Amino acid sequence: MYQRQSGHHLCETHFIEDIQRRVANTIKTRRMIVPEDRVAVALSGGKDSTALLLLLWQLLPTGQDIRLIAITIDEGISGYRDDTIRSAEQLTSRLGIEHHCISFTDLFGDTLDTFLKGRETQACSICGILRKKALVIAAQRAGATKLATGHNLDDEAQSVLMNVFRGDLPRLCRNSGVDSSGKFIPRIKPLSLISEKEIAVYLMLQNEWNELPECPYTRYALRREIRALLSGFEYKHPGTMLHLIESKKKIERYCAGSVLPASLGSCTMCGDPCSGDLCQVCLLRQTFGH
Amino acid sequence: MFKKPAHETISQRMKLIFSDQDERIIEHSPAPVEQILFEVGINPLEVIVSRNGNLISEDTVVGSEDAIRIIRIAHGG
Ligand SMILES: [Zn+2]
Repeated sequence: MYQRQSGHHLCETHFIEDIQRRVANTIKTRRMIVPEDRVAVALSGGKDSTALLLLLWQLLPTGQDIRLIAITIDEGISGYRDDTIRSAEQLTSRLGIEHHCISFTDLFGDTLDTFLKGRETQACSICGILRKKALVIAAQRAGATKLATGHNLDDEAQSVLMNVFRGDLPRLCRNSGVDSSGKFIPRIKPLSLISEKEIAVYLMLQNEWNELPECPYTRYALRREIRALLSGFEYKHPGTMLHLIESKKKIERYCAGSVLPASLGSCTMCGDPCSGDLCQVCLLRQTFGH
Repeated sequence: MFKKPAHETISQRMKLIFSDQDERIIEHSPAPVEQILFEVGINPLEVIVSRNGNLISEDTVVGSEDAIRIIRIAHGG
């Protein structure tokens, strides 16, 4: 029997069914996946993306012509990424899912480790910008119509709090719904209402729990501090994470059209949609001298 | 905060196994997992706990001769 934040006790079977039902509900109510979709799952091989791929594989109805594919980005982080990539490869071959792997070296000319020499404290923001771009390219090459990521409730709540702490109003107001502007492959987060702990328990019950190394750059991350702080609050005051996410949605509604520029321009170097002259990737390329 | 079991005064040995193979023997009367975690300074939301290979919930009472494995949930997706 397992205990959730709700105080309910569920047996193993009902715990798994409860997670499946809630994820299916998120997908349905937000129209994340529709018939004919080709869904690319960003599979790092870590716990969240492993749970996401497994859940989508369990939940997606066959016969509606929905295809699942997995894409893995090799950032080039020594002592970390090899283990998770191996785990990703094993999972996709076991489930029989098409798997594409793409590396920072292929796309940007070098490994993340090299780009970060002397800039370690900016690791997560630099990696985040490059990884986002790499995922979009990989998803486009694979002919995907949706890009699914394993962001969970904890991640989403941490992001809200981080944007508040940084005073990053534009990011706090950005619409988190499925993008339908046609400019981007719509990104979906089917696990956004499932907590990190629930994901860990789910994987354990499915015999899919792997103890993998943690990214060596997390020690520089503000997110690490926010994570500890927020899980302390969530423990003492259950519901804190959900409340943060609800606040963000309210802020989004109030700010619609007033903080963000109404229309996006294009990057003068690569043509990608962006708000300034250069997109963040091209700005980084300039910094690196590539 | 926690209900104390009737046999509270009997102190017993319990083995705590942490992910990094670091093992600790503590003297403790039977108590819920949550209380043990609290006493060693661990937030239950950041770990999953198993006893003799089986996942257990935070309100499970653990006692003598139990080997409790505390697995940290690493960040990263
Ligand atoms: Zn650009």
